[in-house]
Amino acid sequence: MTDAVAHPTPHSGSLLRQDERTRRRNNAERRFRLYGQVAIGIAIMALVILLTSVLGNGLSAFRQTFISMPVTLDAAVLDKKGNRDPADLKKVTTIGYSKLLVNSLTQVIEEEGIVVEGLASSDIKDMISDEAAAQVRDRVLGNPDLIGQTVDLKVLANGRIDGYLKGRVSMESAERDSNVSVNQLRLTESLVERGIIGKSFNWGFLTAADASELRPEAAGLGVAILGSAYMMIVVLVLSLPIGVAASIYLEEFAPKNRWTDLIEVNISNLAAVPSIVFGILGLAIFINFAGLPQSAPIVGGLVLTLMTLPTIIITTRAAIKAVPPSIRDAALGIGASKMQTVFHHVLPLAMPGILTGAIIGLAQALGETAPLLLIGMVAFVRDFPAAPPEGLFDPAAALPVQVYNWTQRADPAFVERASGAIIVLLVFLLVMNTAAILLRRRFERRW
Amino acid sequence: MNDMRLTERAVDATDVKISARKVQVYYGDNHAIKDVDVDIPDRMVTAFIGPSGCGKSTFLRSLNRMNDTIPICRVEGKITLDGEDIYDRRVDPVQLRAKVGMVFQKPNPFPKSIYDNVAYGPRIHGLTRNKAELDEVVEQSLRRAALWNEVKDRLHAPGTGLSGGQQQRLCIARAVATSPEVLLMDEPCSALDPIATAQVEELIDELRANFSVVIVTHSMQQAARVSQKTAFFHLGNLVEYGETGQIFTKPQDPRTESYISGRIG
Repeated sequence: MTDAVAHPTPHSGSLLRQDERTRRRNNAERRFRLYGQVAIGIAIMALVILLTSVLGNGLSAFRQTFISMPVTLDAAVLDKKGNRDPADLKKVTTIGYSKLLVNSLTQVIEEEGIVVEGLASSDIKDMISDEAAAQVRDRVLGNPDLIGQTVDLKVLANGRIDGYLKGRVSMESAERDSNVSVNQLRLTESLVERGIIGKSFNWGFLTAADASELRPEAAGLGVAILGSAYMMIVVLVLSLPIGVAASIYLEEFAPKNRWTDLIEVNISNLAAVPSIVFGILGLAIFINFAGLPQSAPIVGGLVLTLMTLPTIIITTRAAIKAVPPSIRDAALGIGASKMQTVFHHVLPLAMPGILTGAIIGLAQALGETAPLLLIGMVAFVRDFPAAPPEGLFDPAAALPVQVYNWTQRADPAFVERASGAIIVLLVFLLVMNTAAILLRRRFERRW
Repeated sequence: MNDMRLTERAVDATDVKISARKVQVYYGDNHAIKDVDVDIPDRMVTAFIGPSGCGKSTFLRSLNRMNDTIPICRVEGKITLDGEDIYDRRVDPVQLRAKVGMVFQKPNPFPKSIYDNVAYGPRIHGLTRNKAELDEVVEQSLRRAALWNEVKDRLHAPGTGLSGGQQQRLCIARAVATSPEVLLMDEPCSALDPIATAQVEELIDELRANFSVVIVTHSMQQAARVSQKTAFFHLGNLVEYGETGQIFTKPQDPRTESYISGRIG
């Protein structure tokens, strides 16, 4: 080489010193990593804020204030004729029972020697939930032998008393509140000290039906949970086989032509259709045209099936596509038919993906609210639907709609209940996702 | 194997198993195979050699209609197996593939146990009446594939857990288990190391006792080692077809000679 004056090559410097280019590259990488960490930090923060807010507001819904006292089920009031005839027993309304409860509570107060100045008997009556009398009545009608006995009962306290124990109602707010008096709160304090009023776990929140605006203390999720469960059954039974069959056909059997392209595009489009549109569709087709009943889980389930199908089809197709073609060749090469290839080899391998898709679809359906509003599932339903399959046609509520419903109500006691319902919904979603993960593990381990 | 012995290798005049006449294969507009005439003899190893993309795999795949799975692929001409046109309307490709088995370039065992891999073919074709017979077939096939001694203690371990060479022999055992008449092998050793290749080649030589074997290979040495007949493909044409010894020692066509001597390919 004659050119002795060498041009400085880009890599001529010492390895121990980073050159400008490397430094810039490394800085860019470091910046990019930082962006990622910030993004994840924001996501985690959002999750933490969501969970704290929901748990902070909602956990109290799982504990409810009860009044524990001995109640004399006076035969003179409940069964004037003394013949325990169910028809006669039913003539005694909740007003009669309410009087019994008030008497019992008054007696307890006297026995304990609690004196609150200016306390009227109507004040005592208002401390007990209106729902309590109905619950006692139901219990007596179910078991007439109780009449004449003195039973220790735990009856629901009024929502305002419950609010006082949970810090929602204070002496100051009571002065401005026509639904609760300061005297009642003073009495409550004394009763709490003596252990007569206290909080305990609120099974009614999970099992009872919804209650009216005036009885937040009695409102429960029973009908909504049942309605959601029924809808999920319908969705699972319909969308999984239809979705999987459609995907297998499109992926493995259908000729690739303009028609299947069109179908493919439309399935993808369907996944992006706003859910309320499905609600209108359900209203027009299933209720107005097919004549199915309103507010029924079957209609809700059908609408949610339509919504879930695209999700299931898209994920199932992706799962089938991900199965290596060499497996198909292997099966075809030893003379398996197309269907044997699909069912013996492709489908088992795609199973984990299909299950994940199905459960994601179901979880989405479980949380869907808008289409259910349109098909009447927003109705106030007090009666539990019957067991399936008849129950699918009975009116029912749904969990997310119940949340929506409760947030609409004026009484602040419903705030905690709405948050409590969200917790229940989240727990269900968590359970479903866990199930998805477990199923996936199980299927994957087999291979 | 010493190339000098090639010419001495006895080639018995035998029946024609597969016969192809004026075969054309198209991928869409691409004319991949042009006017191929070939007679594949029974109980012999026929090798297809040629540079990449010359159509040898494509032609192999049209012998058991695996090309049917490719929508844009079109086959014209006549291919007969024992005198029956395999592209006849009445022929079910599934039935054909049971007779003409295939081993692929990449070992592709099912993600199942070794036993289930081999038993799959006999099961779907109903070749055995009971478990004992099936066990027998599995053992025999694995023995034929020279794999039995290595796996007999772990028949229920997953087939995907074997080494590459073992997997390929498992695939051969799987193909053999359906007792095909013809075994098509598409570069069966290209993913294997030299030791595994030697094992598979030995196996191919043994398989010739029972089957007609067609093997596609990139390696001319391999073709020389295992085959009795060799076909040289170039750019979709069958350039030369004849006895292996003759192709490798006295090629008729200048293109064959250039390829064999390493000038093209």
